[in-house]
Amino acid sequence: MSNDTEPAQVSSVAAESHAGDCDAEMQLLEGAVRPLPYHVVKELLSVGVCARCVLRLFGIEEHIYCHSSFSQSMLGSILEEETSFKSEVEFQFCSVCLGVLQFSYCDDGEETVVKKESAKDMALSIAELVKQEGHQIDGFSLEVSVPPLILENESSLLSHMKKKYESEPWFQERLLLSKCHSVKDVLKFAITKPLETLLGVKASASSFRIRLTYTHKRASKKVQNSVERNQECKRRKTGTENALHNVNDESVIADKDCSGYSTIETNSVTGIFSNGVQDQETSEHFESPIEKVSEPCHLVYVCCRTHIYLCGRYLKYSRNVSQTRWIIDEERMGEASVEEIIGSNILPICQGDNYKFHAAGREDIDVRMLGSGRPFLLEIQNARQVPSELIVKEMESKINGLENKLVGVKNLKVVGSQGWALMHEGEAEKQKQYCALVWISRPLEDEDMQTISLLNDMKILQRTPIRVLHRRSPLEREKIIHWMKIERIAGSSQYFLLHLCTQAGTYIKEFVHGDLGRTQPSVGSILGCRAEILQLDVTDVKMDCFVTE
Amino acid sequence: MSDDMVDRTRKLEETTVSNSLHEEEEERPVREKAEYEEEELHKLLVPDVSQLPPTPPSAVETNFVSYFAPDFMKPGNDQYVYRHANGLCVVGLASTHLAFKDKGGITAVDFNVGKSDRSSMKVTGKRKRNAQHFESNTALCKVCTGDDSYVVRCCVKGSLLEVNDRLIKQPELLNSSADREGYIAIIMPKPADWLKVKTSLLSLEEFKILRELC
Repeated sequence: MSNDTEPAQVSSVAAESHAGDCDAEMQLLEGAVRPLPYHVVKELLSVGVCARCVLRLFGIEEHIYCHSSFSQSMLGSILEEETSFKSEVEFQFCSVCLGVLQFSYCDDGEETVVKKESAKDMALSIAELVKQEGHQIDGFSLEVSVPPLILENESSLLSHMKKKYESEPWFQERLLLSKCHSVKDVLKFAITKPLETLLGVKASASSFRIRLTYTHKRASKKVQNSVERNQECKRRKTGTENALHNVNDESVIADKDCSGYSTIETNSVTGIFSNGVQDQETSEHFESPIEKVSEPCHLVYVCCRTHIYLCGRYLKYSRNVSQTRWIIDEERMGEASVEEIIGSNILPICQGDNYKFHAAGREDIDVRMLGSGRPFLLEIQNARQVPSELIVKEMESKINGLENKLVGVKNLKVVGSQGWALMHEGEAEKQKQYCALVWISRPLEDEDMQTISLLNDMKILQRTPIRVLHRRSPLEREKIIHWMKIERIAGSSQYFLLHLCTQAGTYIKEFVHGDLGRTQPSVGSILGCRAEILQLDVTDVKMDCFVTE
Repeated sequence: MSDDMVDRTRKLEETTVSNSLHEEEEERPVREKAEYEEEELHKLLVPDVSQLPPTPPSAVETNFVSYFAPDFMKPGNDQYVYRHANGLCVVGLASTHLAFKDKGGITAVDFNVGKSDRSSMKVTGKRKRNAQHFESNTALCKVCTGDDSYVVRCCVKGSLLEVNDRLIKQPELLNSSADREGYIAIIMPKPADWLKVKTSLLSLEEFKILRELC
């Protein structure tokens, strides 16, 4: 509470800053308000327009709205320089902004009406939420959305004013309509500075969003009413005709008591169903232009961070781990998944709500992913903390140090949304390198090694493998085997390692055993015998992304 | 290390030697790291020979469960049905089929039986549109030997996804590998239909005993 003496005019103001600031504020306010045409302001105040709306309709500069609360009576008294003007005014919700710029709203949870004294108070409850959620931020972006009803109110009010006052000199000067500030802008301007102070960071284009969503019950009802009425219009002409006539007969002077049942309809009709405001109609119906509202908007405010991404390459050392969570009939396939191992170790550190795992291609559960690793992207939703480089390195070590050694991670780091494009860029053209443990039905000859290594960029035709035929289209796909090399295994004449590099999308297992002759040629057909594959490992995913710099 | 591996590391060394000394100084740790990583990788790839079976199970044995229909619709008409975990069934002639007893074996295969040429149908899409629905006794093809001809039937009620049209040009596949490359067709039965037909089929063991193949 203020402990300084204030000039009599503004005794109703509840200022919380120093007398000096208060004075400066008052001066600014007076300076802005005095030049305004008194009769217009009086009319606006009398139809229930709040002080801030009055000022913004006149296009008063933004810094005014930052200042501590000021009321309709204050406005009036500045202009009149007397306290008699409606000094007993009871608080009412603004007929244009429905209380938004009076920092009044209906609380979402408890359904109680909340009236904040000032922008600072409003900012305080928002800041509380941010702290409660435990977000660690270095900036914030403020977003506000208001119900269409407010815009309808505003446009009908503006067009009335235009019609009524366009001949007056002040109107020409001010170019009223073009300068009017929107409710959203004014609200943002009012609470941004106090929020910056409370949160200790600046407002910027940040991944951390604070969203204020105002809705009003009346907004949707009006639309519904008018939709219904419009339909009725077609059916019962007499009924609506009467309503329209009523409105036309009313006097021009604003009468706030006339509850235009039908005017609500026509207001909303013109507001919604005609794109440009039909000035003629709305100004005539401005008699009781905007209904007095008995309840303010519903406000829901949330804060959350947009997705953050961590990228890197993963290795899979186990033949019993699937890439993603795989459950059939409530039973998990394999003992774990790469997705869960990586996600569950990173999510808690980022203190996020959820994670989504994306990878550049995949391998079967019984195929290991070795060598350079496979590029992946982990999307974290609503992270409370964006991990630093140091923390990211710790995450990597943690995963690589897990006792069961099922999965490994390389080059882990935070990346922007471009990570997505990077990972999928040219995915179909990328080559993959494998090592297969192959058995043939006769001993391996030196000649075979020669035959195999001479084949370069060999084309093969693969019919959709039987093991995926149930869920993929039956097609014949041409693939390229770029090169192959046989490595003998000491101690065995019929087993050997086949190193090969192929086009993305090649089914390696089927290339070895032939898939009942549906992949031609196959290792078996090339060597003229039966070939079986026992193990497969991916040794290189030849992509440029997510490698160390 | 095999010759190939030695070749590759030598190639790696060659390229770096051609660089200037200064660069070589910088590259040595990189080169060594790359070599080290490759060695580590190689260790993971080479299997323990002592753990390898002399003859590993075949792809069919690993991926399918084998069933048999002895004397299907006619004595001597032994057919197999390989069922994959995904529900698809591969049907073909068992080695004990009468056709293989004929001199010269199978000489021709004709898919033009019944109302249509089974090799001409085209199934498209994930939902397998245009697939014809056949009963278990619907004819798939006719196999001819020098002496005789035999009708091969579906054995399983379901949608015909594919016939092995290679048999038209290479009927000898049936003589050499009727159990693999000489398969006849791939059929997709509905789960309920499979359960019904399963009861009339024999397992590999039961079939061996029946035909005294053990």
